[in-house]
Amino acid sequence: MLEIKNLHARIGDEENEILRGIDLAIPMGEVHAIMGPNGSGKSTLGYVIAGKDDYEVTAGDVLWNGESILEMSPDERAAAGVFLAFQYPVEIPGVATMTFLRTAVNAVRKARGEEELNVAAFMRVVREKAEKLNVTQEMLKRPLNVGFSGGEKKRMEILQMAMLEPTLCVLDETDSGLDIDSVRIVSEGVNALRGPERAMCVITHYQRLLNYIVPDRVHVLSRGRIVKSGGKELALQLEQSGYAEFGSDQAA
Amino acid sequence: MNIVVQPTKNEAERAFAAHFDAIASSLPGADLAWMARLRTDAMAAFETGGLPHRRLEAWKFTDLRSRIDQVFDPASDGAEAISESDIYDVLGRGFDELYCYRVVVADGVFRPELSHLDGLEDRIEVLSLRDVLADGDGAEWLRGQLAKAVAGEDDTVVALNTAFMSDGVVVRVADGAVIERPLHIALVTGSTEPETVTVRNVVEVGRGARLTLLETYSTRRSPDILRNSATQMTVHDGAEVHHIKLQNHGMRAVDLATWMVELGASAIYRACQFTIGSALSRNQIYLRFNGAGSVANLAAASMLWDEQHSDTTINVDHAAPGCESRELFKCVLDDRARGVFQGKVTVRQIAQKTDGKQMAQALMLGEHAEFDSKPELEIFADDVICGHGSTSGRLDEDMLFYLRARGIGEDVASALLVQAFIGEALGAVENEEVREALRLMAAAWLSHSRA
Repeated sequence: MLEIKNLHARIGDEENEILRGIDLAIPMGEVHAIMGPNGSGKSTLGYVIAGKDDYEVTAGDVLWNGESILEMSPDERAAAGVFLAFQYPVEIPGVATMTFLRTAVNAVRKARGEEELNVAAFMRVVREKAEKLNVTQEMLKRPLNVGFSGGEKKRMEILQMAMLEPTLCVLDETDSGLDIDSVRIVSEGVNALRGPERAMCVITHYQRLLNYIVPDRVHVLSRGRIVKSGGKELALQLEQSGYAEFGSDQAA
Repeated sequence: MNIVVQPTKNEAERAFAAHFDAIASSLPGADLAWMARLRTDAMAAFETGGLPHRRLEAWKFTDLRSRIDQVFDPASDGAEAISESDIYDVLGRGFDELYCYRVVVADGVFRPELSHLDGLEDRIEVLSLRDVLADGDGAEWLRGQLAKAVAGEDDTVVALNTAFMSDGVVVRVADGAVIERPLHIALVTGSTEPETVTVRNVVEVGRGARLTLLETYSTRRSPDILRNSATQMTVHDGAEVHHIKLQNHGMRAVDLATWMVELGASAIYRACQFTIGSALSRNQIYLRFNGAGSVANLAAASMLWDEQHSDTTINVDHAAPGCESRELFKCVLDDRARGVFQGKVTVRQIAQKTDGKQMAQALMLGEHAEFDSKPELEIFADDVICGHGSTSGRLDEDMLFYLRARGIGEDVASALLVQAFIGEALGAVENEEVREALRLMAAAWLSHSRA
């Protein structure tokens, strides 16, 4: 279970807080959507959970399965089951996609006390999972994310998620920049990972993605706070009325 | 009355002069008047110019005169025996099983007993410089080769090499010969005594021929060596050469290495130099396009730590039209290491349609590391494309975070990024075995520097 308690955070030394007291709980087996206008702090929340250095937590805590993860490094969090699907996956020239995937999978397996996968087993698993996500062999041969289209990058994120088998998945605007076919493929990939042993947090600006990944709960984030929570029908209401009633803070 | 100002010679310069007086008569080819003259003239040029210093533009960042304070005795023939396994030990994993012909020059002397030339294809000759000097026709050919080495006339490092060369490898590839197996010239120092080693290799690749040449410069025992090596190469029309150099001396060595390359028409020359050893090193490449429509691709990578100083200086002379030159320099600098890149491209008036580009990039790992980059373009033709760029920076934080967010620890993530950075230059090596051996060495460097 993910528990976020009165979380405050800012970028580096900047005065203004971007997160201003978030309280949120996502039990195992549930998918929660975080919706909100631009600048409401959605991406910041994802980065703080994943442990990006640029952000400073000034108050509050993030607990995963009862333990605070705020003192953990990003790789320790990944080993503990945390996974952030990036809104803008980073291109890394010179690092082969397969080398990266295998290094990541084996690092996480080792940290979790599991045996490393040998090359043959690893290749088999990658091929099988890649095929379902329409990630081609040609993409796997390229340097990580280099020259990938927006849709290819997002599919690669979900492939990484499927390979690393996290227990907490945070998806940051996974639908942005995707055409409708890609949204469907990505959503199927995400839905395949839904299960009682996994909690998911889907961050999105638009309701569209939630037609495919149907959430158990929807939270509205505005100016660094959760201002409204409800069932999946809340997303539809927002689609009708927009974010106007919650304001649209332009901070960050 | 003219007053000739003679700068005071320093100790090192006096030592070179004394060594020359002592051993000139016993150097190979001393019985040939032209060779003796060549050496004497070279020594005179050295005595006039002295060791290069920072007031010379080409040596702005690497002041040999102040850095070289000791000149060891020239390596002697009686140097300690060195075994084959010594050579593999210094080169490390990947090189021992390399599919190649191998010639070993230990302590400045060609060692046939350590070399592997069995089954040498019949259209390539691999000989010792000494033997060629002792052979009438061969000596005449060599005379012509030595006379046309394309180094700058004022390069006193090359002058020293000419004066003192004790041996080297002569390679002649016949017209049209395609030599499949790479030729590996292993220059290794096995002596336990400090020594100065001076080697000259002379390579001629015939029309339409193809050769892959790997040079490795390593030290087995004595940490104190001063090595001056020069390889001159003529690549005739339509030939293709892949030329690779690894320098991994110990951390107290001084290595001065010069390549002088002349390309005919429609030739292809692809080079990669990888430097990880020596306290002080200078990698010089002089390359001249003599014929139209040729391509030269020069990649160089250095990985330095502690207080290492390595200078890569490339002079590309477009003396023929329609040629393409590419230079890529990459260095990784940890601790207080200093990396230098100087890239000079000259485009003569005749060299229309020249396409010349260079890029120098440094990855700064150490707080006190320093990178100096100096591009220089001299263009006398009007229809050319020339460009250069230079960057330096630290590891990209966003890339590091992305890798770590996938469970990869900080050290491994950094190592992946450093290898990716340097790998772009090493990727220029076409031969897969050699490329992978160099990559292993780059990977090993990462743990070495943290030891």
